[in-house]
Amino acid sequence: MNETNETIDSATGTHSAAVDTHANDVIQPEHDVTRPGHWHRLRAGLSILFASRAAVVGLIIVLFWVSAAVLAPLLTPYTPLEQDWKAPNQGPSMAHPLGTDELGRDLWSRLIYGARVVLVILPISESVWLPGGTALWGVFVALVVGTTLGLVSGYFGGWLDEVVMRLLDAMMAVPIILLFLIIMAALGASAVNVVIAITIVGTPGIARLVRSLTLDIRTREYVRAAETRGENPFYIMFAEILPNARGPIIVDAMLRVGYAIFAMGTLGFLGLGLPPPSPDWGSMVAKGREFILEGSPWAALWPSVAIASLVVGLNLLADGLREESMRYQ
Amino acid sequence: MMKKTPDKNPDPVLDVRHLTIAYETRKGEVEAVRDVSFGVREGQTVGLVGESGCGKSTIAFGIVNFLGPNGRINSGKVIFQGNDLVGRLENELKKLRGDRISMVYQDPMQALNPAVRLGDQLVEVLTFHKDISAANAWDRCVEMLRRVYMPDPQDVMRRFTHQISGGQQQRVVIAMAMLNNPALLIMDEPTTALDVTVEAAVLDLLEDLKNEYQTANIFITHNLGVVARVSDYLCVMYAGELVERGDIREIFERPCHPYTMGLLSCVPKLGDSKLDSNLHPIRGRVPPPAKRPKDECIFAPRCNYATDQCRQGRPALLEVGGDHLARCIYAGEIDSRPRTRRSQRRARQVEALAQSIKPAEPLLGFDQLKVYYPQQSNSLVSLIGLGEKKFVKAVDDVSLRLAKGRTLGVVGESGCGKSTLVKGIIGLEQVTEGQIEFLGIDVTQPVSGRDASLIREMQMVFQNPDSTLNPSYSIGKQIARPIRKFKTVPKKRVKEEVIRLLKAVRLSATYYDRLPRQLSGGEKQRVGIARALASRPDLIICDEPVSALDVSVQAAVINLLLDIQQSFGSSMIFIAHDLSVVRFFSDDIAVMYLGQIVELGPAEAIYDPPYHPYTEALLSAVPIPDPDAEQTEIRLNGNVPSALDPPSGCRFHTRCPRRKEMLADGGLICEQQVPPWQSNGRGHRILCHIPIEMLKTIDPVVHANGDGSSLQPVE
Amino acid sequence: MGKFIVRRLVLLLLTMLLVSMAVFLITEASPGNVARNVLGAFVTPEQEASFLAQLGLDKPVWQRYVHWLFGSDWKAARKIGLRLKRLVTEKGFVEWWAIDESGRPVRWKLQGDDLVAELRQPDGKTVRKIDNRRWESDPQGGWSFWGVDNANHAVRWQKGTDRKVWTFIMGSGWKQSSGGPEEYLPLKKGFIRGDPGESLRTGRPVGDSLYVRLRNSLVLAGIAFVIVMPLALFLGLLAGLKEGSIRDRVLSVGGMMFSVIPEFATGIFLILIVAVWWQLVPGATVFGEKAPWERPDMLILPVLTLTLIELGYVLRITRASMVEVMRSPYIRTAYLKGLPYWRIITKHAVRNALMAPITVIMLHVNWLMGGIVIVEVVFGYPGLGKYLLDSALYKDINALEAGAMILVIVAVGTQLVADIIYTIINPRIRYT
Repeated sequence: MNETNETIDSATGTHSAAVDTHANDVIQPEHDVTRPGHWHRLRAGLSILFASRAAVVGLIIVLFWVSAAVLAPLLTPYTPLEQDWKAPNQGPSMAHPLGTDELGRDLWSRLIYGARVVLVILPISESVWLPGGTALWGVFVALVVGTTLGLVSGYFGGWLDEVVMRLLDAMMAVPIILLFLIIMAALGASAVNVVIAITIVGTPGIARLVRSLTLDIRTREYVRAAETRGENPFYIMFAEILPNARGPIIVDAMLRVGYAIFAMGTLGFLGLGLPPPSPDWGSMVAKGREFILEGSPWAALWPSVAIASLVVGLNLLADGLREESMRYQ
Repeated sequence: MMKKTPDKNPDPVLDVRHLTIAYETRKGEVEAVRDVSFGVREGQTVGLVGESGCGKSTIAFGIVNFLGPNGRINSGKVIFQGNDLVGRLENELKKLRGDRISMVYQDPMQALNPAVRLGDQLVEVLTFHKDISAANAWDRCVEMLRRVYMPDPQDVMRRFTHQISGGQQQRVVIAMAMLNNPALLIMDEPTTALDVTVEAAVLDLLEDLKNEYQTANIFITHNLGVVARVSDYLCVMYAGELVERGDIREIFERPCHPYTMGLLSCVPKLGDSKLDSNLHPIRGRVPPPAKRPKDECIFAPRCNYATDQCRQGRPALLEVGGDHLARCIYAGEIDSRPRTRRSQRRARQVEALAQSIKPAEPLLGFDQLKVYYPQQSNSLVSLIGLGEKKFVKAVDDVSLRLAKGRTLGVVGESGCGKSTLVKGIIGLEQVTEGQIEFLGIDVTQPVSGRDASLIREMQMVFQNPDSTLNPSYSIGKQIARPIRKFKTVPKKRVKEEVIRLLKAVRLSATYYDRLPRQLSGGEKQRVGIARALASRPDLIICDEPVSALDVSVQAAVINLLLDIQQSFGSSMIFIAHDLSVVRFFSDDIAVMYLGQIVELGPAEAIYDPPYHPYTEALLSAVPIPDPDAEQTEIRLNGNVPSALDPPSGCRFHTRCPRRKEMLADGGLICEQQVPPWQSNGRGHRILCHIPIEMLKTIDPVVHANGDGSSLQPVE
Repeated sequence: MGKFIVRRLVLLLLTMLLVSMAVFLITEASPGNVARNVLGAFVTPEQEASFLAQLGLDKPVWQRYVHWLFGSDWKAARKIGLRLKRLVTEKGFVEWWAIDESGRPVRWKLQGDDLVAELRQPDGKTVRKIDNRRWESDPQGGWSFWGVDNANHAVRWQKGTDRKVWTFIMGSGWKQSSGGPEEYLPLKKGFIRGDPGESLRTGRPVGDSLYVRLRNSLVLAGIAFVIVMPLALFLGLLAGLKEGSIRDRVLSVGGMMFSVIPEFATGIFLILIVAVWWQLVPGATVFGEKAPWERPDMLILPVLTLTLIELGYVLRITRASMVEVMRSPYIRTAYLKGLPYWRIITKHAVRNALMAPITVIMLHVNWLMGGIVIVEVVFGYPGLGKYLLDSALYKDINALEAGAMILVIVAVGTQLVADIIYTIINPRIRYT
């Protein structure tokens, strides 16, 4: 590629080159650099994901539950509320793959409709619902509030930071279970209130995470470059800092969805979840628990397995992603 | 200082033969070091030099067979005192490590355990290798600390790592390495993390220790100046291969591999200026281990002399002189003459530029500028807001003028306030006192209070290529942002303008869509420059723009900045800690110490007497890439005082080596009174109590042989 | 150090204040009230109003909060014009008395139009006498009197009214009586003066029942803690020694599984396996009047459940910390000093590896309390958690507040302890 610059002086036998001209060469990127763009980023993300066996296992578990929840009406002939008084508290059979509960309701159908509430829909009232599960909404709202607080607190610093952080400290010092108890006791059992509870519990943690990321990123030189351009603080926070904090935030959000499901289960178990007839995993366990000692553990067992597997799946996914992306960097 | 030729002991302490080290990665096995051979004799220091990622450290850890779970020695021998270490049991190696072979590391802060007292960390080296009582070992350690000139060694033994300074930490690590009087000492970039004056003192110490203990030393560094100062023998590494080795002087005088030549001609020597010399960068970059050519000359893709023959097969090490070998088929044939060809072209351009601008036209100026940070105190009183507020006086009483088209270099060691000064100018830091005038307008307020038309005239190039660009956006977007913000061109032509800027920094238009992580360090730095240029500023502030780059890339970026200055006519403030680079780049230089400018003047005047005593010490410490260069040995005592509570009178008086000998009553005045500015004509001023006539009598610190360059072609 | 402690103490007070206010406000905002919760849905509006008034629940929320926090006796004393005194009888009942001008404890009753004073004798008996001279004329032209009744209220009687009062007596039901006052002000010393009040649900002092519950919970948590900590720290260090080894994978994946399975699920699995299938130990805890340590067999499952959950968490934190330490340059230095492996681990790695987890683990106590509540519910264990849950469900505000305050003190207290421990073991903080 540089033949033109070379001369071999055959007379003297010395090998020389005109070095100066190279200063004006235009640099071409290396050929095998992959194409950028969203598709590329997605592929890069997926390749990180598939590099970790744990993440793949986690993804499979999560996908199983998501698809079961989405396709619930197609996967079972029963509705979750349909009672069969002739067959209460049965073990698994051909008719009822996971058995029935104390009212003869099909456990498989209750289980996957329960997954719906967690992952796919947020029931606001009897007939109105929003897409996106209760757990997802809780984490999402906490994410929006926490991220904003963390960014503002970390970027501006000073007394604002001090005030926000002390308040969040105080919030974090309140035992989570107490928050749950108070909130739910006060607001009553409903999906929206579960979202509120998850939001309140999740916000301080997210804010702290985002704040610490912000404190780190704001010292980067591209942020200083933006500041020397006189960019306004909101542009810097949301366009310069936030996009570079998203990796840890996404991993954290996944873990939080896990904890939210965990919390939903706990609330349901304490009788603070969704109101009774709806297929809530936690309250299914609470109800089914009474019949364990009578020899029919199924009603308590399956929802427990469901919560556990979903949370484990999300954790595997998040951990795998975190480890791989660390290695990737 | 002259190197003593070591005794010709026929058996080397260490003999590395055809060493190949590979790492297991996801994408299969990657050879990090290939077929490397060299030897180290008693009392000899072998320098391993090369850019980052060329396998220097891997060799070091390969010698002691400490390569981590995924590394292994694929072939070759490591013969230490007659025995091959490759394939030896871990237990046998353990007996050698820390006893016969010891190491000194790059970052002493990290290398020492933060939770264990330094004394315990030292003592265990003795007690585990020798049959020695703890009390005895303790005494030996204190003695060794004293030997490495550690002040108050008894006390240091009881301290923790974080309680002593970086230079002292490195002394502890060195003491730890020397405790068992090892036969081989491996030093991996031992001074890279240190400031230049501290580095000089540590290098002196290493020289002392070598002469006393006759240890065989391996000294790994990327810094040619450092290696020239400490080594007897040099191995040049490139991309995992040893490309040239030979006696240090021989190589500096007659480099035979194009890579070595490239390395030597791409750093400015102390005293070189853009007016009279040119830097010759090596194009391209070091290939990552997985992409290295296997069966051709590894340097061929970057070599200006490469022919088809170079790509036919891997060249062998050719002997080009007594114990001087180079891995190049043209070794000995290549004329190194072009490297020293002075650039007449640029000198003419620069002169023309200087004349076209009226010298007195001021761009930026400020008087008695102060930037203080409030210091958070940990006491209970201040917790409730009653305590006395303390301030870090990062910049204290600094005055400067910068004329249009000129380049001002600011030098000083870490913590001298040079970065804070720049932040104050550009408006990232609230100025405590003083007024900054830019283009005749008051710009003392922070950037948020400045007018957009002023902001765009002042832009910055940053130090760290890895953080200068936002990883989330494409190159094109990042350069386009300032263009859009300041509306330098109509919206439709933004992309065109970005590509024009990319061309200006010698990048092709295909970079437009790239993400920063697909770029090398040098390329990122170019993009950073393009972004700074996008608003067409009058003043570009460069904060250590090349110090994080590999040597071969530095030259290209410096050249680029010079070209840009010519074609755009911008003024520059250039901050650096490397005195050679600053000298090369700048028209005027300010030397800073502890928040103040102590010397200011035209570049050529700074590097010759009269000096400020601090400038003198700096110049004496700077490593010069020339084994024959001699420097007067001036070393500073103690640490830089805290900027919270700077010394009274002259801030430098606590460490000044000159005041006692040159002033009456031992320089008492320095402790009591703020020194005056003394003028030496032509704008050269020195902040010192010692009369300028006396300062003029000081000999130049640097005596390079010949006309200041050992790189004259050998006739 | 001093700064740390002061900071934490300020935080503790701030948190307690905020939480106590929040509890009041939220309880206030919620539908339903304690009367319905205690008395059932069939209570008449009259009975409900009377019940609420006697508990002071007819007052605005801010007033109730002030009374709860600072007490109401000072306010009552001002209204009555006499000093008030809190006595504890031999049987352990709390009684409030006014101290009359001659220094004798006195309470009153309204009988018809007559005020009857009950004077307490030194031997504990009472002497009655008509005490109509205390009637005061009020602006409306009637006669009224602020005094102390025999159920620890400061009350205002109105002469000539014969108000019917419904009193609910635990165990025997409703009793209607006449001679009721116009206004009640329940007497208490207030939380900051050490009186958490009485349970609205049981009428007994909160302090007494809390003590037993707290003790039971501490027994449970304490045993679990003593088992978990050494085990989890040890296993965590073991896993982190060699990152990516089989041992590491098994321990960290196992730890993760146990730490993310909800407590009630773990509890139920354990009951199913150990109590139902193997029939080794009881699946529920029934202590009656006994203390938990008198029935250790019943403690096994709750402790095991808590242990499994906490084990995973602490193990993972410790492992992560150990992995980081093992990668650090100073461990490399230790290797290259030629030190024996055990020396590198014990002297150089472990201490650094334990620094980070201790704070995180202590912060996790917060989470652990949630675990205890669930475990207590699952096993019917009579601890603080169950008490809190019941109180919350009943809106038993005094009990809820007291329990909440204990939880906050424990949570912030452990953070303080964590800070102190961290300062002690981390020389970088200790010597600066």
